[in-house]
Formats: sequence, structure tokens, C-alpha cells
Amino acid sequence: MSLRRRPQLSFPDVASLEGPLLEVEDLHTSFRTARGVVRAVDGVSFTLARGRTLGVVGESGSGKTVLGRSIMGLLPGANVERSGTVRFSGHDLTAMSLAELREVWGMQVAMVFQDPMTALNPVVRVGRQITESLRLRAGLDRKGAQETAVALMQSVGIPDPVRRLRSYPHELSGGMRQRVMIAISLACGPKLLLADEPTTGLDVTVQAQILDLLATQQRERHMGMILVTHDLGVVANRTDDIAVMYAGRIVERAPTVELFAHTRMPYTEALMRSIPRIADPSHTRLRAIPGRPPDLAAEAQGCRFAPRCPYVQDRCRAEEPPLRTAGQDHVFRCWYPVGSPEGADALARNVTAMVPAALAFTGTRVRDVAVAPDGARAPA
Amino acid sequence: MVAADAGTESVLAIEAIPGATGAAPSRRTGLGALFWVCAGWVALMALLAILAGVLPLKAPNFQDYSAVNVGPSVHHLLGTDDLGRDLLARIIYGSRVSLVIGFAPVAIGLAVGGSLGLLAGYRGGVADSLLNALSFVILAFPALLAIMVIERFWQPISLLKLIVLFAIVAAPQLFRVMRATTLSYAGREFVVAARATGATTRRILLRELLPNTLPAAASFALIGVAIAIVLEGALAFLGLSVSLPTSSLGNIINAGVNNDNLTLNPYIALWPSLYIFLLLTALNLMADRLRSYFDIREVKL
Amino acid sequence: MIRYVGTRLLQLVVICFLISVAAFLLVHLLPGDPTLAILGPNDTPSARATLLKQLGLNHSLVVQYWTWVKNIFHGNLGVSFLTKQTVSNALSVAVPIDLELVIVSQVIALVVAVPLALVAALRPNKAFDRVATTTTFGFLSLPTFVAGPLLVLLFAVELHAVPATGFVRLSQSFGSNLKSVILPSVTLAIGSIAVYYRLLRADLISTLQEDFVTMARAKGLSTPYIMLRHVLRPSSFSLLAGAGISIGTLFTGAFVVEVLFQLPGIGYQLVQAIYARDYLVVQGMALVAAVAFVVVNFGVDFLLTLLDPRVRRG
Repeated sequence: MSLRRRPQLSFPDVASLEGPLLEVEDLHTSFRTARGVVRAVDGVSFTLARGRTLGVVGESGSGKTVLGRSIMGLLPGANVERSGTVRFSGHDLTAMSLAELREVWGMQVAMVFQDPMTALNPVVRVGRQITESLRLRAGLDRKGAQETAVALMQSVGIPDPVRRLRSYPHELSGGMRQRVMIAISLACGPKLLLADEPTTGLDVTVQAQILDLLATQQRERHMGMILVTHDLGVVANRTDDIAVMYAGRIVERAPTVELFAHTRMPYTEALMRSIPRIADPSHTRLRAIPGRPPDLAAEAQGCRFAPRCPYVQDRCRAEEPPLRTAGQDHVFRCWYPVGSPEGADALARNVTAMVPAALAFTGTRVRDVAVAPDGARAPA
Repeated sequence: MVAADAGTESVLAIEAIPGATGAAPSRRTGLGALFWVCAGWVALMALLAILAGVLPLKAPNFQDYSAVNVGPSVHHLLGTDDLGRDLLARIIYGSRVSLVIGFAPVAIGLAVGGSLGLLAGYRGGVADSLLNALSFVILAFPALLAIMVIERFWQPISLLKLIVLFAIVAAPQLFRVMRATTLSYAGREFVVAARATGATTRRILLRELLPNTLPAAASFALIGVAIAIVLEGALAFLGLSVSLPTSSLGNIINAGVNNDNLTLNPYIALWPSLYIFLLLTALNLMADRLRSYFDIREVKL
Repeated sequence: MIRYVGTRLLQLVVICFLISVAAFLLVHLLPGDPTLAILGPNDTPSARATLLKQLGLNHSLVVQYWTWVKNIFHGNLGVSFLTKQTVSNALSVAVPIDLELVIVSQVIALVVAVPLALVAALRPNKAFDRVATTTTFGFLSLPTFVAGPLLVLLFAVELHAVPATGFVRLSQSFGSNLKSVILPSVTLAIGSIAVYYRLLRADLISTLQEDFVTMARAKGLSTPYIMLRHVLRPSSFSLLAGAGISIGTLFTGAFVVEVLFQLPGIGYQLVQAIYARDYLVVQGMALVAAVAFVVVNFGVDFLLTLLDPRVRRG
């Protein structure tokens, strides 16, 4: 439709890049709602080097999806406040105008959305949803775009791509649609890929295929990748680093191996314990994390995980723990971390005091527990 | 903390996170100032029309040849027309026809069609299908055409005949609306509960269903009034409404357009147009507000 | 699917049948002898006899109806007593006028409503949207017999831009035709603009919340492109729904507009015939108008069901 505009920014070739691909510094994003200000992202910082994968893990309501969109700048215009800095390839994304951001989107930074059924336009053919970026952003002509689209679809493993170009999204299976989404995101050769729950809703076998596909593409194109998910199992083997989010904050961040070997933050530990293992005997009860994620609109005091934490002490409720370092590249937020003497102490004290989270954690069974008069109701 | 059951295996229920459920924003703001202003306006217009006889108005049909095409002045607040008749009086008297034709058929339609719709929606069955088919047939005909042709051949036209004709057109619409709303409510639990306590059909209809369906239908009814007023205005403009001396607003506009009156004295057409515009705006605003108000309630249920 | 089409067609046929019966009964249920009214001062026994035969009034009602219907299918709708022309002839003059009115008015309505809705939906509740929405809401309160005279006052009387009345055929002069049709079309368009704008705007706003719009943004596509190629298409169903709602008002409005602007369409001729008690013309025109109305209504209804986006078809 329109001629390709001359980009106002220049992005150096990835190979010649010095410094990290992505730097996020103290990012805050809040929404003004009828209930008050919801702080979805509450001070997130990390860096990502080229060619590396970061996994961002959290429950729904932890702010992880908003994080992805906030990094890109894809937020709605009204009632949103964002502060902090996001530097991509040396350019400050947070200071850019909408026009400049549009130059970045698709070409430099791309996003794979969570649900391909809603993220693909149902009345537009799949082929056009791929070629429109190629024609309008990369300046290819009709034939070139067509050929590139076919090649893309092949590389993401879609059989019979020439025919599939003319399909509508609802004519494809779930896994196929997700592959199309990935093809669309890779179309213009971005240097950073943000994958927001790319496998939710897919069969387990298809999940593995999609994740492998992402890993391959990332390797071949030497992209940086951020994998956002609620499923720790997804990121276990496929990421270089993992950041665990809770209530809009990063509560632990470490290289993957280190995270699994030396977990510090109780929330991370609880997440790991909740992954069912094949090796467990049958009828093993699932160890869910009791309670619910916090209301992001409410004023916070102390550690936000405190109500559900097995290790919680008074200090946790009063003061929020800052990010502390433990070993190289490993930061966490906890006053009584896992695997430390203070932590073990705290847990033992809680079991004696019959704190419910601690009892559930240690699997202690209780008979005849008294009712507390504070009137709090159990969750559904 | 919450009690666990006293049994051999018990699992502790965990306390809820305080403040996890925020209160939903309250919508108890009522219908809004604008709504009541409009309602007041409509009421005022109705009042003026009803009390036209006792108000200090000039005679609407008195032709004062010494004051032809006079603009707004102290003696004639809105001026006079090409036959020297006071425009303010003509408009107020003319509004009587418009308002009556607006409200009466809808009221009748609501009473007849609405109650039938309530019954049909609740009971269903053969009667329901028949009535539905009948309403479908009546609604398929173009209203204006049917009314035009029928009333022209059913001379002489009187206000009553027009009201009857309009009511015949309005009733199926309101039947439809009430039926649909009733259907959506009839399956709800409070109806089933009422039946379970042995309430008679009549009681259920009056006490349970009517209070819930009537507000939803009210919005449609107001739109119906607006449509009826427009329809009558169109008929009058075409010269096919009630004949003089009770000129309705459409007649006045018609007169305002003929005989070069638009060039000579645009006020003849202007004032009734303004009146109709304000009246319709008020009705539309009220209908709109009612609809959004009751829609929200629906969602919360 | 086929069954649905079949049912609808059957309903259509039944309604048309009822219309024809109604139109027929009009003449025959009139109080008094129609011939007296028709002939007026020319009332002589021989004239009456001829007329009776002509009208076929000497046969039974059913036979008369049947003859009449048969005649219709042969294109014979009778003769006007006023103009001595055949009704079919009158129709051939009237129908193109109505068609042009409807087409031009709807085109105007779309050309105005669609861009307005597109811009308003991008920034809901901001300045542009508020102004546009309020203005178009006001249009709802401007029926044709109010808007028409006002427009005539402004454009024809004050500005002398276009003629106030009269119709120039397309075949004669394009420019004059346009001038004679523009004001009535605009008058008719006003009501349609309000409906189209409201429905489209609501639809656009809800479509804009969809994920695929965010995704399109994430591809760096420009806003005009996204609005036109991604958002408009899924939302255009509401325009069709708007057309369905507008039909009734268009119908009423067309009558008024034709009389006001003196355009000899079906409405105008019908009104004249009613005044002149030209029964055959009334019968024929009313029949055509009613059938057209019903057919269009059914057609739009049918399309709406067919294209309903909530029903996903392959």
C-alpha cells in the first residue's frame, strides 16, 4: 500500500554489537483502573546478551505479560504510566516516539503472542498476514514476499506451504497456527524475540516441537530471546537464565543451572516443587502453592509473598527484602532464603506455630485445628 | 485460619489473601441528571399541551389579517404565519396531536402487545407460535404505506382511528420485545423458585416477571413514541393525517414549505421543526440512558 | 441451511400474497360504489357499465382477484384515470428516481459515516469522538420532514446553490440531475448516517480490543493500514445491520422527500393518486412499493443471517 519509509534509526549489525542486546533498568508499568492504580510491573531490571535466552516465569497476575509489552512499548495509550529505561542495541526505547517505535517493531524486536487463535486476524488469509510485514516493512515486492513467506513457512515446519498461504487461521490446527505466528515474527529478521506463553494450550508433544523450533531459529539467527511462561518445566532446559516474577517484581534471577541447583527464594522453590515428576509414585498429591496471587492494586508492605510463604517471619511482613547477590549472576529477594540456616530455622518455627503454609509445605497432617476469629474466608 | 473437618485425613484450608477481591465499581449513580432534564422537558411539553385551553394563548385558528407574517414580537412571541395566526398557539395546540399520537398507541401497544408478549414468553405453546407468526406478518408490512392507504380509504380520519392504526403497528413490536425479555428471564432461578412455592401463573407474571421485564421494555417504548411522532409528522406533512382545524405539527411544517413561505416567512417551518427536534432528542436521550442503565444491571446479574 | 432458505422464501411468498390480497381488497371494500367516485361528473349508466366491466366488478371477488393477479404477471396493472397513462408507465418513471435516491443517499451516508467512525473509534471519548457522536445523535432527531425544509431553506433559498424542487432525468443532463437529487439524498442520508455511525463505531471499538490488532501493531504496521485492512473488515457486518434498520426510515423518508422536492417517484405519485382517488394507481403502486419493501427486508435479513460473524463457516 504505502511506500516503505526511510528508517530514521540505524541499528548496527548484531555481530558487531558491543554490550548487551537489551538492558532493562528499573521498569515500572502501572494502569489506572476503577479499583485504583494497578502496579503490574514494579521495578524490573535485567540485561540480555545477544544469542542468549532468558526465561521469565510467574503465575498469572505476576505481571509477566505486561513486562513483555512494556519492554516493547506496546501498551494502550490511556491510563498507563511507564517509567524506567529500556535500552535495545544502544537505543533508548522508552524515549522513542510512536513513529520511531514502529520502525523497531517487527524489524528489530518481534513478539510471539500467546493465543494464535485470537492473535491472528480471522478474516485475513494467513499468507497475507506474513507477507504484509515483508512488503510494507522490508520493502519486498509481491513475488519476493511470496517466496520469502513460503521459505519461512518451510523453516517453521509447515507442510505444503504454498497452499497454506491461502488458508484462514481457523482452518489450521493449534500447533500450525503457532508456527505461523512464529513465522510472522521472524519474517523481518528481528534481533530480539519476545515469546509470550508460546506453548500454552498446545498438546505436550506439540509444545516440545514449538520450543525446539524456537531454539533452532534463535541459534541460526543469533537472536536474543525472552521466553515468558508460567510453566517452569518449559524453561528448565531451554534457557540460559531464568528470572522469576512475583507481584510485578523479579524475586529471583540466576543462570538456569544455578537456579535449579541453588534455589534461594521460597517462591521459586514452591514452583519447582509443584512440577509433577514422572518418578513420583502414582497418586502422589499435587503440591500446589496455597493461596492466591496478590492484588496488584493494593498497597504493599513487606514481602508480597509473605501470606503464602512457608518461611514467613515478622520481618517479612514489615520490610520488603531487597535484591541480594548470591554467587555470580544470582540475585534474589528473601530474608530467610532456602538452604540457609535462618531459613531452616524459620520453617521449623512456623511448623510449630502451625502456620498453614508451612504445614502444607512440609506435608504435616493436622487434626482438630481451632478456628481463627479473623473472619478470613478460604478461597474457592 | 479455618477449621478442618475432624476426620482421619484432613487438609487445611488456607486463609484467603486479604484484599484479594476488590469491590466492583458501584453503579448506583442513578439515571443521571441528563435523563431527568429530558424527562422534565417531555413532561413540560405534555403539560403545556394538556393545559392549552386554560393558558393565556391566542386562538390558534384566528386569522388576523393585520398581523400577517409578523416576526417574533411582544404580541406574538413566536410570530405569525401567512394567515395571521399566532404561531405559538398553533404549535402548542398542534403538539397535542403529536403527543397523543406518540404516547397513546404505544401505551395501548404496551398494554395489549406487551401483556401478550409476557404471557407468550412465559407459557409458550401453540398460542405463542400463532401470535409470533401474526406479529411477524404485521411487522413485515411497511407501516407508513399501510397506514396511509388504509386511513385514506377509511374516511373520515379521526384522531381515534389514527390511534387505533398506530396501535396495530406498535403492538407487535412491543409484543416481540416483551416476549424476548420474558424468555430470557423465565428460565432464571427466581422464577423456578416461585413456581416451586406454588405461586399461580398470574402471581408469577405480576410479581416476578413484570418488574424485571418492564424496565427493559421501557427503553423500546420510548423509541416507539419517537417513531410514532415521526410517523404522524410525516403523514401530516403529506396531508394525510387528521385534518384541520386541529393542525398537527407536520401540517404546520407543510404549510411552512408551501406557497413560497420558506422565503417569505421561514419561521412557520422553523418553530415546529425546533419543537420536534427537541422533543425527539429528549425521548432518544431517555431511551438511550434507560438502555445502558439496564444493560449494566443485566451484566452484573 | 437449505431448509432455512426454504422457510424464508415460503414466508416471503405468503407475505406477498397477503399484500396482493390487501391491495385488491382496498378497492373492493370501499364504502359506496367505486365507480361513482371514479367517474365523478361523467357518471352515466353506459360509462358505469363500461367501467364495471373494465374493473371486472361484475364477477365474483375471487375471480376478480385472480384476473387481476394474472394481469399483473402480464405487466398490466391498470390505467390511471388522472393521467390516462398505464400504471406500468408511471412506474417506469418512478422506479429509477427511487433507485437513484436510495443509492445516492446511502453512498453519501457511508462516505460520511465510515471515516467518522474510523477516526472516532481510534480515540474514544476524546474530543473528536464526543463531537461526532453528539452530532450524529442529533441526526436521529431530524426526521425528513424537519431536515428537508431546513436544508432547502439553507441551500436553495439562502444560498441558491441548488433548485428547491423538480427532477431532471439522468439521461437529459448529468449535472442538473445531480443538482436536483443532491438535496433530497442528503436529507435521506441524515437518518442513515446516525445509524451507520453508531453501529460501526461500537463495532470498531470492540474489534480494536482484539489481540490481532495488538499483533498488527507489533509488526510495526501503520495505523491507517491497520484500520483499513485489519479492523474494518471484521466490523463491517454492523454496516449491513445498519442497512437493515434504515430500511424502514428510508421508506418513510422517501415519501416525504419526494413530496417535498417534487420528485415523481413512487411516493409522490402514490400520494397524488390517493388525493385524486385514482384507485388503480393506488392499488398498483402500493402493491409494488409494499412488495419491494418486503423483498428488500427479507433480503437484508437473509444476508445478515448468512454473514453473521458469530457463525464461523469454512
